[in-house]
Amino acid sequence: MSRIVFLLKEAMVSLRRNALIVVAAIVTVFISLGVALTALVINEVFRVNTLAWQDGVHIIVFLNDEGDNGVPPGAHQTLLGEVQSWDEVKDAKYFTKADAWEEYQQIFAGQDELLDIDPTILPASIRIELTDINLHQAVKFRLEQQSGVVRQVAVASESIEQLQELSSVINVGLLTASIVLGVAAVVLIANTIRLAIYSRRDEVSIMKLVGASNWFIRVPFLLEGLIEGVVGAALAVFAVWLGASSIAQATTGFALFRFDVSQQFFFQRGLLLLIFGAVAGVVGSMLGLSRYLRDAEGTGPDVPTGF
Amino acid sequence: MIRLDQVTKVYEGGTVAANDVSLDIQKGEFVFLVGASGSGKSTLIRLMLRDEPVTRGKIWVAGKDITTLPKWKIPYLRRSVGTVFQDYKLLPNKTVAENVSFALEVLGRPQSVVGPQVEQVLDLVDLADKAERYPRQLSGGEQQRVSVARAFVNRPPIMLCDEPTGNLDPKTSVGIMRLLDRINRTGTTIVMATHDHAIVDAMKRRVVALEDGKVVRDDETGGYEAVES
Repeated sequence: MSRIVFLLKEAMVSLRRNALIVVAAIVTVFISLGVALTALVINEVFRVNTLAWQDGVHIIVFLNDEGDNGVPPGAHQTLLGEVQSWDEVKDAKYFTKADAWEEYQQIFAGQDELLDIDPTILPASIRIELTDINLHQAVKFRLEQQSGVVRQVAVASESIEQLQELSSVINVGLLTASIVLGVAAVVLIANTIRLAIYSRRDEVSIMKLVGASNWFIRVPFLLEGLIEGVVGAALAVFAVWLGASSIAQATTGFALFRFDVSQQFFFQRGLLLLIFGAVAGVVGSMLGLSRYLRDAEGTGPDVPTGF
Repeated sequence: MIRLDQVTKVYEGGTVAANDVSLDIQKGEFVFLVGASGSGKSTLIRLMLRDEPVTRGKIWVAGKDITTLPKWKIPYLRRSVGTVFQDYKLLPNKTVAENVSFALEVLGRPQSVVGPQVEQVLDLVDLADKAERYPRQLSGGEQQRVSVARAFVNRPPIMLCDEPTGNLDPKTSVGIMRLLDRINRTGTTIVMATHDHAIVDAMKRRVVALEDGKVVRDDETGGYEAVES
């Protein structure tokens, strides 16, 4: 126990002594992971808002339940077969009421008040992928002729297509930036550790003289890197969560687009980011220690070199 | 306790710092390594501490061949060897007590052991009343006593001292030598490199004289200079 306290104390002393460079390392981790998390949040917002329109779905045909409004049993499968035979249709899939409930739960995950509904009110649907998006008007017209079984026809607008394209462009940009900044964070942590070793070289050489094992000497530096990584990551998670929550609060009531991301999403991704921050910190420390690890025999430059 | 068998150390560039040195040091002995600057005294100390690898030959410390010791085992060797250097090697931002306890803390000794042991050794070096001072608030002699306390606090069977009185005036040097003598009387083997004639002549202990890395004299109770017969 006293050993752990001693190692932690040594790590804290080192953090305090190199405060400026430590802050720089934490800020770099914060920015890099903040950008990465922002990319994930944007991705999530787009995913939730365009969930139904993924995998190239161009038209969704919501169906009246069989047995209601004079819809005969088997009408859904008959319509599906007919739609699949149309030349303009590349692919058509049947989406049951159970599938609809599952999708609804995904869209409104974490929002208990919205999830408290009767699942049977959600309609079954047919999701259609066209051979050419420009044919959607004609197909929509033909579907609307099937009154009775067809409740409503929804067409993916160009804006959804553009939104999806924009989302992928933003994602690629942000993820590239976060990778570059992530590498910078690891390098900066390595540099911090190297400086810390330099500023504590007397202590390190004395520790070696009195028989401290190499791991015992390394642990405070690894702890230092770990703390830098985790603190940077925690700040990033907090800042992005705060930003996203503020935007969500400011945009409540927007009918077309939902900006809020579930707490569960933040918890899971936040945990992942903290782990990533910790790993980046330890990897950075290992890199910083690498030269020292190779030179583990001598007691360092402070032992007299004359003879 | 320490045995060197035909030890040779050649530094990069071809400088021969130890040349076919063979020595046998018994448990509880006090041995002076003497010679001019550059004769190889410090190199022998560093070789015994495995701070440098030998070029040829074998060294046994406390019954173990340290020339073939894997790197990860070197710390275990150093735990059984206390070291004192000319420049004290104290940590300026730690108090006297902290400097001494540092040696026990890196070994993972529990606090219940560290406190009393540090107190005891500070009593031995007569610095109990200065336990909370920083090295800069101490004289050279006092700093060296702290260094001796740190080397001895773990009760090592061997102490290696490289010019421990090199920075001290003659009177203070006598104080340090008295301390080392007391430690030696507890059964600790001491090997001390020095070129202080007065100390070597006064102590009347074993003297190993070196010249250009070679042992030129090994007297059981000698003086600094060889006695012409």
